[in-house]
Amino acid sequence: MAEHAWILAAVPGIAFIVMAATGRKLPRQGDWLAVLCALSIFALFFAVLANFLNLGEAAWPVLNSIEWTTVGDFELRMGIAVDQITIVMLGVVTTVALMVNIFSIGYMKGEPRYWWYFAVLQLFVASMLMLVLADNLLLLYVAWELVGLSSFLLIGHYWERRSAVEAAKKAFITTRLGDVGLLIGIILFWDATGSFNILEIQHAVEEGLIGDTRLFVTVMFIFLGAMGKSAQLPFHVWLPDAMEGPTPVSALIHAATMVVAGVYLVARLLPIFELAGDALTVVMVIGLLTALYSGVVAFAQTDIKKVLAYSTVSQLGFMFVALGAGYASAGMFHLFTHAFFKALLFLGAGSVILGTHHHQEMGQLGGLWRKMPVTAATFLIGSLALAGLFPLAGFWSKDEILHAVEGQGTWAFLLLAIAAIMTAFYTTRLFVRTFLGKPQDEEVASHTRETGPTMTLPLVFLAFMSIVAGFFIFHDFGTALGFPGGFSEFVFLHYPSVFHVDWGLVGLSTVLFVVGTFGGAWFYWNGRLDRSTVLAEWQPQVYDLIQRKFYFDDLYQFLIDRVVLGFSYLVSWFDRFAVNDTGVDGSANLTGYTGFLLKHLQTGRVPNYAMAIAVGVITLALISLAVGS
Amino acid sequence: MDNAQGYVLLTALALPLLAAGALLFVPGSQKMTARYFSAVIGAILLGLSVYVFVAYQANGEILQMQLRWPWIEHVGFLGENGISLHLGVDGISSLLTLLTGVVAFAGTLIAWKLEYRAKDFFILFWVLIAGVYGTFFALDLFFFFFFYELAVVPLYLLIGIWGSTRKEYGAMKLTLMLVGGSVGIWIGIFAVVHEAGMGTFDLPTLWEVGQSGALSPEFQKIIFPFFAVGCGVLAGLWPLHTWSPDGHMSAPTSVSMVHAGVLMKLGAFGIIRLGIQILPEGAEFWMPALLVLGVIGALYGAIAALTQRDFKLISGYSSVSHMGYVLIGLGTLHEVGLTGASLQMFSHGVMTALVFLLIGALYDQAHTRDLSDFGGVAKVMPLWVIAYVVAGLANVGLPGLSGFTAEFHIFVGAFKTYPVVGALAILAAAIAAAYMLRMFGVVFFGPLNPRWRELKDLSPIETVSAVLLILSMLAMGLWWSPFTDRLANTVVNLPGVTS
Repeated sequence: MAEHAWILAAVPGIAFIVMAATGRKLPRQGDWLAVLCALSIFALFFAVLANFLNLGEAAWPVLNSIEWTTVGDFELRMGIAVDQITIVMLGVVTTVALMVNIFSIGYMKGEPRYWWYFAVLQLFVASMLMLVLADNLLLLYVAWELVGLSSFLLIGHYWERRSAVEAAKKAFITTRLGDVGLLIGIILFWDATGSFNILEIQHAVEEGLIGDTRLFVTVMFIFLGAMGKSAQLPFHVWLPDAMEGPTPVSALIHAATMVVAGVYLVARLLPIFELAGDALTVVMVIGLLTALYSGVVAFAQTDIKKVLAYSTVSQLGFMFVALGAGYASAGMFHLFTHAFFKALLFLGAGSVILGTHHHQEMGQLGGLWRKMPVTAATFLIGSLALAGLFPLAGFWSKDEILHAVEGQGTWAFLLLAIAAIMTAFYTTRLFVRTFLGKPQDEEVASHTRETGPTMTLPLVFLAFMSIVAGFFIFHDFGTALGFPGGFSEFVFLHYPSVFHVDWGLVGLSTVLFVVGTFGGAWFYWNGRLDRSTVLAEWQPQVYDLIQRKFYFDDLYQFLIDRVVLGFSYLVSWFDRFAVNDTGVDGSANLTGYTGFLLKHLQTGRVPNYAMAIAVGVITLALISLAVGS
Repeated sequence: MDNAQGYVLLTALALPLLAAGALLFVPGSQKMTARYFSAVIGAILLGLSVYVFVAYQANGEILQMQLRWPWIEHVGFLGENGISLHLGVDGISSLLTLLTGVVAFAGTLIAWKLEYRAKDFFILFWVLIAGVYGTFFALDLFFFFFFYELAVVPLYLLIGIWGSTRKEYGAMKLTLMLVGGSVGIWIGIFAVVHEAGMGTFDLPTLWEVGQSGALSPEFQKIIFPFFAVGCGVLAGLWPLHTWSPDGHMSAPTSVSMVHAGVLMKLGAFGIIRLGIQILPEGAEFWMPALLVLGVIGALYGAIAALTQRDFKLISGYSSVSHMGYVLIGLGTLHEVGLTGASLQMFSHGVMTALVFLLIGALYDQAHTRDLSDFGGVAKVMPLWVIAYVVAGLANVGLPGLSGFTAEFHIFVGAFKTYPVVGALAILAAAIAAAYMLRMFGVVFFGPLNPRWRELKDLSPIETVSAVLLILSMLAMGLWWSPFTDRLANTVVNLPGVTS
């Protein structure tokens, strides 16, 4: 089964075609088909997993490819490679996709283009699975663009709203700028190694087929693509805006799966990154900056989805820090646990939004604990997992990252610790302001009710995963489930370290958690905001800077309006006036004007012509005399 | 050397001419007769074109389906095979034949709506199509040029009579610039025939002469620009592209479709047929220059398209940008790059034809093409918007559609030869995303402008046309080996091509 894992991508692909063509006319607009599709790939995933584990380590990675085209010496093969990283990604994608499909039935009820929403969701799942299954960079790029397309379509689902259209456009173009780098990098790899196949490229690099500088440059181009997709500085601007999309989409695409594609790509190519000079340092610095930056910005956000969005950006930064430290296992493990608790938090936010009839500003919420107990309880579990409470999922993976960074110098460790405190702080703020204290808006509170079972059941399942997913790190937990060991042993056979709990680090993490959580609670407990306004009064410029997200969006807007579009106006003007009016029309006019001048010679009067003949004869005679002498 | 398949080519060439002749005898008042008749002709031509493409053997000889009818021999300086109607296709022209069939049929259906002098329109239209087929089939320099001109001249009347916005200016500029280019080609043709000294216009013979080194490198270097610039005008070579935005703006819908869809490809095809194949050393010498102009065109068109306010100007500049890619692909003289250039000709052809079809469908109702007049059109014209989004995404180079397949090959070829050019070309593709999405955002989405509540979606005839074009894009995007297989043999054996 593992060598036919492409079926996982084919099923939702076919579902997309069927639903896009007939969805509107199907009973219930085909939502059952979407859930059926999600269920079947979820089941198929376990078939693949069982087969994969049965085949044993000797057979990994499981490969299967076909010849695609040949032009002269240029040969292309397309195929899949199933290895341990792929298995992890398949598990994450199929699980979260199933939850999101079920949740959407309740969330999207009565919304416009219900059928189209579900159809595009299947397109996304198909592309995402293709992305993680691809054995070569070209197929990966194809899938990479297709997930971008699905993201574009889903962010812009409510296209009657101008802001949604702008957000979709921003997401597509921003990530595409990164993709320019990715495609350049891919072709540079092909140029140097003659192959798109990831394993072949890796072998070629290990054999030293690419010079140092060239390898570094190539890897950096690839990393640009990863930065764009995973919303790292300075490409991060699109992700918070992408919250314009329906909330389940934010959970699936903009938290659990698509945005981690960059992390996946770097993890997949980590053996190459390791050989490419300072590439890993760049990855780590970008990750750290992003983690800190978006942690700070999350403080000043008041929309619950925006807080979660900046949190996602920050956590992606954590993953890159781990990769930059060379610990792919830590990065992948955080990807794995984050997928569950962040999907939980987003779906929880969706439940809040639906339960309060589309209110998502914290200033209008508060005190939802009593009105929406299931949502609140599961949201609490997700928050604690994100903040890093022992022994929830987020605790273990963040611990792994801190552990990974330990060897990378004090400053990195310190900054990451600060970022961890900030995580706990903004998470607490979010939970306290939304669910505790008194309702801030009685009008909203009076209409609020708990959401139905199609929405709460996925929350409960994901809450369960947010509790247990961290245990995959333990050797015994892994072997009990049939894996060869704990998470890092399974995923990275060449890092055969068995995980041991480092109690010193556990203690430190707990201190970070406590500091951040109590800080957040002290500022915002019981719906009070007076303490948090201290900063705004004490340092208004700093507060403004944070609230304006360090002016990134303003800077980009300025660059687009003044520089890019200005240049475009210049080019258009040049094309009209210089090339066309002067060059083309000018030469036409010149011809016409010459004719106009010359026509005066055609007087039709004999004396003029006689005069011309006489002048001509005399001139010729003078010339012949001059030449003759 | 004649074979039965050669008569297929002859039929495809003669049928539109016969159709034009037959239409002369249809009374102008019988519009429906002219329309049905033309639709049938278009369908037959589509069938013949598909046959030519499918029957072309990817592993066979390079030139297939040949047919030779001698015309003038042993007269004056003309010797054996002086001038003959020599037809045949290679991989590249078989693909372009398919393109012509698809676009001509789609264009015929769109011309259905035309009320003013419908019959006369179809007469000129079929003459133009015959010229296009002839150019792709011709293996004789004389007939190559003859058909090339036959395709260009009806444009003047088609735009001048049935056009809109500043049509006389657009038609005049276009014709003068293209004829100016033709003068260069004509000079080049005579120079080559004379220098070769074989007394023949037969292309395969001249290719052999050119590739055997009998033409001195100096001669090749002097003559190549006549072909490259002469054909380049039609291919939208920067800075000789300005007829394109204006011409498109003035032309009626189906003429824009055929013009941008097929005619511009004649230019690029001419650069291969005349430039690269007859004058390989000249080509090698001048290709870097062509490459630079191609890159400038690709970026320049994309950047200029960013701030245009008229639909047709956006497509016009976008065509300049995409034909820039074709020139880049040619300029690499690399097997993958040239494959990409050929794919791009097809891809840009169907994509652009679809775009002009859609612009026409809107303009006929709205009588404005200013982007800012619109908003929320998706509410009233869902099919139209879906088709436009597909075309736009192909334009942007989204995988799964033909644009990506073509551009990807061009990028690969460019990186193998001039990496900086490749990087700039990829950047231009990113800018394409910006201008396309800007237009989508302004026109299709957002709140519906109440002024457009009455707009009608695509008619069944328009839908058939659009679906045909979209299927072509999907075919090349999803499963491109049938296309590359047919091109491979031809491209690899072009003179001076590196691997």
